[in-house]
Amino acid sequence: MTLTARNPRDPFVLTPYARPLQRGRGYDRLLNASALALALIGAVLVWAATRDLQRASGGDPQAYLYRHLVNLAIASALMFGASRFDARLLRLFGPIVYVASVLGLLLVFAVGSTINGAHAWIRLGGGFEIQPAEFMKLGMIVGMAVLFTQRAHERVMRRQFVAERVDETPHASDVLLAIGLVALPLVLILLQPDLGSAMVLAAAAFGVLVAAGVRARWTVGLLLLTVVVAIVVVKAGLLADYQLARFSAFTDPSHDPQGAAYNITQAHIAIANGGLFGTGLLHGPQTNGGFVPEQQTDFVFSVAGEEFGLLGGSVIIALFALLCWRGLKIAREADRAGRLVAVGIVCWFAFQAFQNIGMNLGLMPVTGLPLPFVSYGGSSMFAQGLAIGLLQAVRRASD
Amino acid sequence: MVEPRRPTGFRYRPPGARRLAIIVVLVTSMMITLLGRLYYVQLLDPHKPTQTAGRLHEGDIVVPAPRGLIVDAHGRPLVQNTSAQEITVDRETLQGLPDHGHAVLTQLADLLGTTAKQLAREITPCSPTVSQPCWTGEPYQPVPVTTTASERAVLAIGEHREDFPGVAVQTVTMPEYPYGSLAAHVLGYTGEITEADKKANPNLVDADTIGRTGLEAEYDSVLRGVDGKQVLQLNPQGYAVGAGKYVPPQQGDTLVTSLDLNLQKVAEQSLAKQITDSRRAGMPATSGAVVVMNPNTGRVVAAASYPTYDPQEFVGGISQADYAKLTAPSANDPLLGRAIAGQYAPGSTFKLITSSSLVMHHEINTTSLYGCPGSVTIDGRVKTNYDSEVLGDINLENALGYSCDTFFYVPEANEYYADQARIAHGKKPHEWLQRMAADYGVGTKPGIDLPADEQAAGSYADRETRQARWQANKQTYCAEARSGYKNVANASDRAYLTQLASENCTDGWRYRAGDNADMAIGQGETTLSPLQLAVAYSAMFNGGKIYEPTIGQAVKNAQGQVVRTIRPKVRNRVPVSQKLFNYIANSLSFSRGWAVSGAFAYIGSKYQNKIGGKTGTAEVFGQKDTSWLASWGPTSKDKHGNVHAKYVIVGMVEQAGTGATAAGPMLKRIWDYIMGAKKQ
Repeated sequence: MTLTARNPRDPFVLTPYARPLQRGRGYDRLLNASALALALIGAVLVWAATRDLQRASGGDPQAYLYRHLVNLAIASALMFGASRFDARLLRLFGPIVYVASVLGLLLVFAVGSTINGAHAWIRLGGGFEIQPAEFMKLGMIVGMAVLFTQRAHERVMRRQFVAERVDETPHASDVLLAIGLVALPLVLILLQPDLGSAMVLAAAAFGVLVAAGVRARWTVGLLLLTVVVAIVVVKAGLLADYQLARFSAFTDPSHDPQGAAYNITQAHIAIANGGLFGTGLLHGPQTNGGFVPEQQTDFVFSVAGEEFGLLGGSVIIALFALLCWRGLKIAREADRAGRLVAVGIVCWFAFQAFQNIGMNLGLMPVTGLPLPFVSYGGSSMFAQGLAIGLLQAVRRASD
Repeated sequence: MVEPRRPTGFRYRPPGARRLAIIVVLVTSMMITLLGRLYYVQLLDPHKPTQTAGRLHEGDIVVPAPRGLIVDAHGRPLVQNTSAQEITVDRETLQGLPDHGHAVLTQLADLLGTTAKQLAREITPCSPTVSQPCWTGEPYQPVPVTTTASERAVLAIGEHREDFPGVAVQTVTMPEYPYGSLAAHVLGYTGEITEADKKANPNLVDADTIGRTGLEAEYDSVLRGVDGKQVLQLNPQGYAVGAGKYVPPQQGDTLVTSLDLNLQKVAEQSLAKQITDSRRAGMPATSGAVVVMNPNTGRVVAAASYPTYDPQEFVGGISQADYAKLTAPSANDPLLGRAIAGQYAPGSTFKLITSSSLVMHHEINTTSLYGCPGSVTIDGRVKTNYDSEVLGDINLENALGYSCDTFFYVPEANEYYADQARIAHGKKPHEWLQRMAADYGVGTKPGIDLPADEQAAGSYADRETRQARWQANKQTYCAEARSGYKNVANASDRAYLTQLASENCTDGWRYRAGDNADMAIGQGETTLSPLQLAVAYSAMFNGGKIYEPTIGQAVKNAQGQVVRTIRPKVRNRVPVSQKLFNYIANSLSFSRGWAVSGAFAYIGSKYQNKIGGKTGTAEVFGQKDTSWLASWGPTSKDKHGNVHAKYVIVGMVEQAGTGATAAGPMLKRIWDYIMGAKKQ
């Protein structure tokens, strides 16, 4: 009771009496529906991509389909669990989530295993692997949201009865702290090296900074700094050979048709020949022929492009647009912390979808990134489930 | 709508709608960009890429061509093909089974007497991470696992096909040696293709067989044939989805040799019997060889070598254990074809060459008498006849017949001194004996149609080579002289070797009179292969021609047409008169009975008068004598009195005693067969 007496109206105070949850506000059904639709479309695409290869190598043709659906079920449970979470407890749990994610990243260096050139996975045994970078996206967004809200809150507390209106613009010290918060996981992920996850992390962080009202000189400055650093990194040869090869393949796919550019070329062939309606499910010669490596994960969009054509591809992009719209709607209606979380998650999904579909379409360089909800893969699916759940929690906490 | 519920001032104002609008704009533009790009790639792009790799491509399974036959002069196969039941395992099919073929492999392993694990390793395609044993062929090709499965195993697989999915039995042809080890060293053995072979000849594939030694190697390109192929349609993962055209293999051509199967058999049996007999007589008789040549054509009719091996062991790859057995020191190198690849001191059989040199250079003549004392002293060293026999003054005829050594020592020592005098006067030495030896082919590979490393060149010493060798080795000699051969147990051997080393150290460059005398009787550094000796003796009956002998006679294609005829080339003619040849042949005719040392075993035989021969008893340091006989027959004389012979047979048994005691009876059994005294 003494706790409440200190600041009865503070929305972040740890007491059930602070303000009863608005039970009236439920889930955003469209958000859930779009995520579920993407995941189900993903199940079909993953099945189409793996069926023939599995059969040819003597495995169960439906193995990937089943595991994708299992992943989806687990992700749904995580989503539900996260959505029941009281978003107002974010200030307490935010730092814990952040620290846990960073510890997960550090653990990779100790016991991690390497897949496709990136030392980014922790083997759990029984064929299960966890990619801590996926959870780090969530951890970083939540961490940043708490940081900005907490700092603003402290300033408010100091001038509680002095000012009628508090300047919400984060101070330079806030921004520097936030940059530190981002830099730590960013460096760890770049060391794996997982350029794709790092780019998503940066994009999400950028979204949070913008949404937090950080002054334009900061955001623009950071953008410029990123460009400069990127140029220096490439020029100084700090990238791994395979990353450089992917970049040169991106700029000129005919440069190395059997190596790094092979993925790009084969995915391009698949999508280009889909036409308006596609070849029909399970009728894509490029997909059935197994020409596109990693087709059930990073290049799953090429299955949609080939077998469902422009229509199918557009539906996927539209579903992402719908998902982002609902996320931003939640952001608009949320309180400050919830808004930052929602914007961060939306930016994450939007940029990752853009990067992934973009590389399928030859618009972006190849980085190992799954298409959210659609691609086969446990860790990403679970992290995305948690993220959707968190969006719902934010929505339920806002009035 | 929310304001009435909460007091203002404690709530943070939502960040400006502008901020969220920035995000909305960014997200929207990303989605629109994607849609635009998708639209372009799928509908607008005028240069849509197409799959150039081909949905299906073709792969070949090589159908190895059966190797050509090697037949004897009468067309009897010495190497033929036999069909074998080859069991293959199709990895693709196994992979498609629920347990990845584990049960099938376990069952199959039981039948074949191996383990499922071993089979699984054998059928796994090799890769940088998969080491031998592994499958080196194409991944889509059924892997042959054995050709030696029992009939029970083959039947079990054939009758219970449903239990063995992916396992097939097919008939393949394999080389077969119907007479086992017969003529093994001449025929040679085959082997599996190695990476080095493929580098040397890109047409070779793993399924092929390559001739490694002997005729199989020399005529490999003739015998190999042209591989056929089964074209398969493969999907992009390399799995076979259909069969294309089949190109049947073409069997290799047949090599007709000049070998006579029966004579070869007799030669080998006689050689083996002699080894047994000599050993029974207390001799080590470690090895031996026989060469039968037609002196008129230069063709080899038989070539035997003891010990021998069975080339069948090499078919389909020889096991490590078997190869170790063949190459163990106790096996005494059965892979060495001593008739052609071995070289040995020829002893008195060399006197053909010495006589040729001495007579043709008028150092002696065929009528005068020369001394045959029990011993002569040359260069301060006493050189004796065999058993220090004393024959008084004799002519060349008897010197050859009784095989007197001292008879030849003296003129060759004199030749040496004459040469030394020439050198002292700044002239080049004649070295007539060496030149004659070279004319007879000593020191040069005979050029027979076998791989170069399977024919010995023989050797002799002269001033130049002696000097060169001393330059190269004098440090070793001097070191050995200083150390005194401490590891040699026998005191007299030690003393001898030490003295030899110390002489070599100081005087090793010097070619001495004793060296020339040694060479005169086929000792010292003089060596020859049995084949070379046969070629040299053949010259007596063909007007002095030194042939590059052959074993191959013709190549016939599958239709039996001769596509190539192989003829021995005449390399050179020895500068020896027909008169001298006749003289030597007559001198050594067994018709002279006890007057010819080699006749010992033949006295009383019906064909004694039609055979001649020269024995040799070569001393080898630290070993028993090498027994030689160079013989010829059946002889005939033309109207000019020239002696002709149908065969020259040279026999050699190492560590078996005198020429008359081992090589003599050994060749007698062969002559018995040829002369029809004993029907085979």
